[in-house]
Amino acid sequence: MRKGRNIPLTVYALGVYLFLFTPIVVLVLFSFNDSPRNFMWRGFTLEWYPVLFKDARVLGALWISIQVAAIAVAGSTVLGTLLGLGLARLRGGFGGGIADTLILLPMVTPEVVMGISLLLFFALLFDAHGSILQIAISHIAFSISYVTIVVRARAVSLDPRIVEAARDLGSSPLSAFWHVTLPLLMPAVGAGAMIAFALSFDDLIITSFQAGPGSSTLPLYIYSRIRFGVTPEINAISTIIVSVTAVIILVAWRIGAVKPAKPQPTI
Amino acid sequence: MTDRQPSGEELARLQALMAVPLSRRRLLQRAAGLGALAVIAPAAAACGTAASPSPASSPSPTAAPQPSASAGASTPAAPTAQPTPQPKPEAELFVYNYADYIGDTTIADFEAKYGVKVTYDFFDTYDTMTAKIADGHSGYDVTFVTSVDVPGFFKNGLVQPLDLALIPNRANLAAEWANPGYDPDNAHSMPYMWWTTGVAYDSARVSGEPTSWKTLWDPAYKGHLAMLDDYRETFAAALIQLGFSANTVSDTELDAALALLQQQKPLLRTYTADDIGALASGDVWVCHAWAADARQAMAERPTIKYYLPEEGAIRGSDTMVLLAGAQHPIAAQLFIDFMLDASVSAANTNKTGYMGPNEAARTFIDPSILSDPTLNPGEAAIAKLQELLDLGPDLAKYHDRWSKLRAGA
Amino acid sequence: MMRGRLREGALLFPGISWLFVFFAAPLAIIFVVSLGQRDAYGGAVLDKGLSFANYLRALEPSFLPTVANSLKYATATTLLAIGISYPIAYWISRHGGRRKGLLLILVMLPFWTSWVIRTYAWMIILRDNGVLNGVLQATGITHDPLILLNTDFAVVLGMTYGFLPFSILPLYVSIDRVDVSVVAAARDLYSSPGQAFRHVTLPLTMPGVIAASLLTFIPAIGDFVTPDILGGAQTTTIAKVIQSLFLSARDWPFGAALGFLLILATVIGTVSTLRILRAEVIG
Repeated sequence: MRKGRNIPLTVYALGVYLFLFTPIVVLVLFSFNDSPRNFMWRGFTLEWYPVLFKDARVLGALWISIQVAAIAVAGSTVLGTLLGLGLARLRGGFGGGIADTLILLPMVTPEVVMGISLLLFFALLFDAHGSILQIAISHIAFSISYVTIVVRARAVSLDPRIVEAARDLGSSPLSAFWHVTLPLLMPAVGAGAMIAFALSFDDLIITSFQAGPGSSTLPLYIYSRIRFGVTPEINAISTIIVSVTAVIILVAWRIGAVKPAKPQPTI
Repeated sequence: MTDRQPSGEELARLQALMAVPLSRRRLLQRAAGLGALAVIAPAAAACGTAASPSPASSPSPTAAPQPSASAGASTPAAPTAQPTPQPKPEAELFVYNYADYIGDTTIADFEAKYGVKVTYDFFDTYDTMTAKIADGHSGYDVTFVTSVDVPGFFKNGLVQPLDLALIPNRANLAAEWANPGYDPDNAHSMPYMWWTTGVAYDSARVSGEPTSWKTLWDPAYKGHLAMLDDYRETFAAALIQLGFSANTVSDTELDAALALLQQQKPLLRTYTADDIGALASGDVWVCHAWAADARQAMAERPTIKYYLPEEGAIRGSDTMVLLAGAQHPIAAQLFIDFMLDASVSAANTNKTGYMGPNEAARTFIDPSILSDPTLNPGEAAIAKLQELLDLGPDLAKYHDRWSKLRAGA
Repeated sequence: MMRGRLREGALLFPGISWLFVFFAAPLAIIFVVSLGQRDAYGGAVLDKGLSFANYLRALEPSFLPTVANSLKYATATTLLAIGISYPIAYWISRHGGRRKGLLLILVMLPFWTSWVIRTYAWMIILRDNGVLNGVLQATGITHDPLILLNTDFAVVLGMTYGFLPFSILPLYVSIDRVDVSVVAAARDLYSSPGQAFRHVTLPLTMPGVIAASLLTFIPAIGDFVTPDILGGAQTTTIAKVIQSLFLSARDWPFGAALGFLLILATVIGTVSTLRILRAEVIG
């Protein structure tokens, strides 16, 4: 299969991308729907975009979501990467087993249980009643596990001799981590950060209990409007988010910021 | 709640919220919050006694006439009288409401009139709101509570008595709303909107003119029937059909209702919170629905019709309340007053399709809404409607059966 | 060796502390709630004695169909997600060339909209008068619209779609780790590409498969929103029951007890599965 083309596999891959993007295409299409209720196609219009840009509430909610996601991604990626690496090095053992379970727990805890527990926790111990920071802290608490699992999967298969070699060549532990381990882990760290972003940007249930006055995120705003139907305005903002993300990614990729995972040096 | 000492009840509530031994600091805080209200309330005596030791000793709604003394024993005689001297509202106000449940410019108009900056948030579900305000200081000043919950919320210290002197527009209320059963003399809540709950159907899919709840049990429409995801409303539909009260606490009657609902479940497509979407999309042909929602679905699908079943149906209302721990009580009560202004109230109705309790607003309401029998049923139809009541601890009987219904195969 | 342990400790400390403070401590509060009695407006009555009564209530047989439903959805979702993800992850890793990074990010792109709105998009697609029924009818495959929304099908479809990136990414990471020259050597060793894959690539990528399964199965068991929006009257899941106990029924103690049982069952299930898999795959 060296460098060869595998036609059936390529066709299959395109099929999967089609599946992934079908809802997005529908979403974008229906942002031009001339119907306030948006159940069926009623004709083409551009009116929802100006409506959106005048709607301070939607844009405010989007801005809050972005702030929350930025803090949550940074926090959970750093903490999760360290954890993943540490656990990979422990390779089981009693401490590892406990840590394993602790990491598993946030993933298996029903969101509403976690949401209410955090609501009580912040209200009782800190007298806090919802803020961007409180939402972000909660997001980090449930995102760490995902980052950890992804990073550990790669770290486990990392050859410890590479780091040892670097140490033998006189690197400090920190510099060995920074210059050797981290670059090797980077694809997993990147993947973990992406998952953390998606989780934070998406979360509804836990967020709904952590949001206070003036800190409603975009999913919260949208979900609260379900009762009266989602208008194409919401499709319009989703379209803009996807477009902006796509453009940023394409540009980053063009200028080489998004590199494929480097082949791992073999010893 | 009859079998419990009030103080024990309050203690338990606080403990539940803290899951640690009762903290004096918080108790003091809440007492202080109520104390602040006492300062601004002319009826300081009435409220003051309620506030000082702990909210547990506050008057129960049945003893409510007390605070109404502050309204000046007025049968609404002087509607335009401004409170004298006009108190200065705080600079900010935090309002918590359903989405799209207010006129388009209402908030901006209030901000302009009083120079108050309003933070207006939506709750995703009513239950999320309830969970958030349950600890007595959510950061919000005003929220919108179903009338059923008003007595219980007050008894549990979640809402404060209103200073009626700050709400002169109360005079605009129709007579039946000035002294409603759930809250005598509007002591703790001001009515906002009312509705009926009945059956909506797509006349293009359903033959004849259905008149009964039984249509929602018709196997001919299997897969295209939906009930509301609301346990009180859904049980009411079954209870009324069986000829029982929608507020029954009899186990036999409730078991019969549960059996009827279990029999219906395999025919249902969904228990929905979005009755508008279910109907307007064409997925559901017969739907348990709120009247104003049915009207909104008609806008998208003109063949939708709505009726109040002959067996009887439900009438309910939402109220505006001042939350315990509100940091901006004056602005909050001026806001509630503003919402009762005739033209503001009419604008809210024109936008949402829900009828307000506001007599003075009728002249400003869109005639198509006023003449719509879906939204404004005649006297005879209204006479057959039941109002859902606060059942206290007996509510658990509904919860348990609802869980059983939803979880069962 | 002691110094090594210390270093690992330093790596673990920040994350573990975070989880202790912002996850375990709040959960402890809720655990206390689960021992109490229901209060009419949410919260719990704790001064009337604490007991495990709510846990016994949770074991009533009336909850069995719901548990079965949840397991059914999570299992179907995991199998589908892994089945769909492995080949695409493999394709990106082996045939992506310079575009690997881009292809990977394209996988995530749909998930950077909002979850709620993506699910709404599926509603538009799956409704009786929706896009899919439109296509099926236009092409003459069906005559009358199929009921797709509010069914098992819609729930599994929505979950599979929703968790796909969580399985593609870890699979990609572990497939990409497998040295191409090892596979080449295997190709020389075994007679067919299939055998080479089964005996070399698959075992080497097993950690990724396990990670992907966990990242799919566990959230699928706890997922509330997909069955809520795409499901219907017959698709109740255990997470949905817990949600409604906390919110509409305002029975926090019982909801908490049911939640803890779910946590317990999932942890035991996952940890033992991991043990067995690790013993077989790694040991």
